[in-house]
Amino acid sequence: MPIYLAKRFGLAVLVAFCVSILAFALLRLQGNAAGALAGEGASAEDLAIIVETYGLDRPLIVQYASWLGDVLRGDFGTSYFFKSPVSDLIFDKIGNTVILAIMSLTIALAISIPLGVLAAVFSGSWIDRLCSLVSLLGQALPSFFLALCLVMLFAIKWRMLPASGADSWRHFILPAATLGYYITPPFMRLVRAGMIDALSNDYVRTARAKGLPAHRVILKHALRNALVPVVGLVTVQLGLLIGGSVVIESIFALDGLGYLAYQAIGYRDFPVLQAVVLLLSVVYVVLTLLSDIVNAWLDPRLRVS
Amino acid sequence: MADLSNSADPTATAELAETPPGRMSWSRLSEHPSLLIGGGIVILMILIAIFAPLLAPHDPYAQDITNRAVPPVWFEAGSWEHVLGTDQLGRDYLSRLIYGARVSLLIGFAAVSIASVIGTTLGLLGGYFGGRVDMVVTFLTTIRLSLPIILVALAVVAVFGGSITIVVVVLGLLKWDRFAVVVRATSSQVSRMEYVQSAKAAGASNFYILTREVLPNLTPQLIVIATIEIASAILMEAALSFLGLGVQPPTPSWGLMISEAKSYMFFSFWLISIPGIALATLVFAINLAGDGLRDLVSPDGRG
Amino acid sequence: MEPLLQVRDLKVDFKLRTNTLHAVRGMSFEVREGETLCIVGESGCGKSMTSLALMDLLPRAATRSVGAMRFGEVDLTDRRAVRRVRGNEMAMIFQEPMTALNPAFPIGDQMTEAYIHHTGATGSAARARAVEMLTEVGIASPEKRLGQYPHQLSGGLRQRVMIAMALMTSPKLLIADEPTTALDVTIQAQILRLLRDLQHRLGIAIVFITHDLGLVSRIADRIVVMYAGARVEEGSAAEIFGSPRHPYTQALIDCIPQPGKSERGAPLGTIPGVVPSLVGDVRGCAFRSRCPVAQPVCADAVPLRAEGGHLWACIHGAKKDETERAPA
Repeated sequence: MPIYLAKRFGLAVLVAFCVSILAFALLRLQGNAAGALAGEGASAEDLAIIVETYGLDRPLIVQYASWLGDVLRGDFGTSYFFKSPVSDLIFDKIGNTVILAIMSLTIALAISIPLGVLAAVFSGSWIDRLCSLVSLLGQALPSFFLALCLVMLFAIKWRMLPASGADSWRHFILPAATLGYYITPPFMRLVRAGMIDALSNDYVRTARAKGLPAHRVILKHALRNALVPVVGLVTVQLGLLIGGSVVIESIFALDGLGYLAYQAIGYRDFPVLQAVVLLLSVVYVVLTLLSDIVNAWLDPRLRVS
Repeated sequence: MADLSNSADPTATAELAETPPGRMSWSRLSEHPSLLIGGGIVILMILIAIFAPLLAPHDPYAQDITNRAVPPVWFEAGSWEHVLGTDQLGRDYLSRLIYGARVSLLIGFAAVSIASVIGTTLGLLGGYFGGRVDMVVTFLTTIRLSLPIILVALAVVAVFGGSITIVVVVLGLLKWDRFAVVVRATSSQVSRMEYVQSAKAAGASNFYILTREVLPNLTPQLIVIATIEIASAILMEAALSFLGLGVQPPTPSWGLMISEAKSYMFFSFWLISIPGIALATLVFAINLAGDGLRDLVSPDGRG
Repeated sequence: MEPLLQVRDLKVDFKLRTNTLHAVRGMSFEVREGETLCIVGESGCGKSMTSLALMDLLPRAATRSVGAMRFGEVDLTDRRAVRRVRGNEMAMIFQEPMTALNPAFPIGDQMTEAYIHHTGATGSAARARAVEMLTEVGIASPEKRLGQYPHQLSGGLRQRVMIAMALMTSPKLLIADEPTTALDVTIQAQILRLLRDLQHRLGIAIVFITHDLGLVSRIADRIVVMYAGARVEEGSAAEIFGSPRHPYTQALIDCIPQPGKSERGAPLGTIPGVVPSLVGDVRGCAFRSRCPVAQPVCADAVPLRAEGGHLWACIHGAKKDETERAPA
């Protein structure tokens, strides 16, 4: 177990390192960093000053090393557009993104676990068919379209909820509902498959033979085992949510990392964009590492050996 | 014969015995209504995209300032001249919708073609050779998975500017992971099979074995993944275009159409709902067909 | 005396797309208090389906019909009533001790949950009972075992836990579905001894389901021989082994390797032919295609012959058959 974790951790560090190279390279691809920084119509002197200040004339590898060194110390540079340290910007916004991600996940789990269990227990019935239809529809609806529909109904027509901003918890409801619905199908499929598998197991028959009531058999014996892979998916989806909320945060002008990244793209604010890409990748790497650890802990067979 | 008394469901074995395996026919196809319905809609959409110039009643680019935001025919102010109305620049919405199918399908198919080549190659190499090659493939896949795909796509488009080509290339370079994962798993199984081993023993080259013995056995799974990925690529293109970083105006893309109509949403919500529904229908149909294909390929629902 | 368990004309069917599979075709038997009834037959003969039908544990695809099925005062065709006695007065253990316990919960939890459910006992009382039962089945340091997970125990130990778990509620009847098949021979012998021993001490009746006629001779009071979903012979252990009447029973007995008698290295006996398909209507004697003494009349309805408590379903069974074979 400790060896496994050490290996897993080593891999995570290596992946994070490679991602940092990509994040760095990504934004040097356009070649003319100084031009982007100075904006259109900058004079040659301006460009020279910028190249000087940011050290853009040094070899790429040196630039990368110094950038990585700064990043490791928590210094992501200064935003071209906001003119403030990138780390401060990220620190300000990350809370909203995390709240949004957790709310969406909660909504997704609250829908998918009961429906997945029902679909598995009554597999082949109309409940099962309805669930798979809803999940197919969920996967087909473009998230931004769903978001606009919700805005139209709840914010414009019925004036129940705010359409944009992040000032109160009510601002999070529509974006979280959109994202939550969007990620429900994979959870529902996984819960259903896991439950069908668990229910066919001998230990479920044992539990029934012991005379336990059906709900105990289903909710304790089967569900407990069916949920193990769900934990893995939760962490993966959390990672994707934090990255994938760019679209939703932009629509609702919810002031989180995704919205920040969207703005940074608009302003060609590369230090910010670089930092967000790197951060989200590392968050994903850390979350998958966590999910492996949690899985190992959840499965008693792995825990001991 | 399996032990009847102990297997959980003896009908499973008996039912299998009733239908001869591997036979593909209309009767078997008709047992998969989702494939029929989904596939039917997809084929229809493809035909619409191909014959767009013949089908579109108007030029999708022709603006008519005097006829802006005319509602579809089922509204009181609508007319048969513009069945789905016109947009904020007075362009015929039905024609734009028809041409939009071209963009969606073109990008979906092209991006997934690139992705499938990358993913299949990596997966084949990893699964067939194993060892270090496999470690590298797994590592590459892990890195790819840790990149936030939408954000990276957005950043690349921001650097290179938006166009259909860029969107295709970016999505193609980013969406190969599922191909690699599945192909790797399957090809490592297949390459242990007896007929592959005997081909090796007979001195066949690795390239020959991979392309003639291993790859054909992967085709069913590849088709299933490809459908899922095409659906997802179409959605991503729409999202990128919606954010203004995909297909550029005036090209009619469904995502872009929704984006352009955003500010008119309060008065003319149909400007958003029509391309939205078109997008959802296409993606739904592809996924439905994909589900049907998966059932057809692995009747026990695995894989 | 009224039998503890009474089953008359039990049928289990599986609906297929175009046809019906008759897994159990009219089983009848009785179990008296404190006795061991063995149900013997080849894989797929419907013996496990019979036991699952008793407990209302059949897979969802199965349909059950039954003439009568009583457990003491309880009508086992009444699903609510079954739920009261299942895991309480009527307990069951299974073939696969490896998978029959839930990997996610400690032994103690799994042993006590049904006891608490059925008796309303407190957690600590239930744990005390679990310790007592683990001791009863010969498990050392039972307190420690309660906190362990199934994967930490060996197969034999797990089957002991299963037995202890089944005994928690002091059942009157224990249904054991191939409880030793998955275990190796020495453990098998230990578990058999344990079951016999518990039966003598606690006075429980056991329905022991197995394909292994050799095992049966060591524990059975009475034996039901099943073939293709139906009872072909029933009698006391002495009757079945001493004077088997059905050709199938005779063939099974011939297949048991006998120390000293069977030649060393000689191939194990097998019955030639295959079990007929149970899909669709099955007419006449199902064994006739493999039977060395089959007659044309075997394709018609089979008579059930009786000699005291010894029953067999065959047109044969006169004394002359007996003289043909050496006494076992």
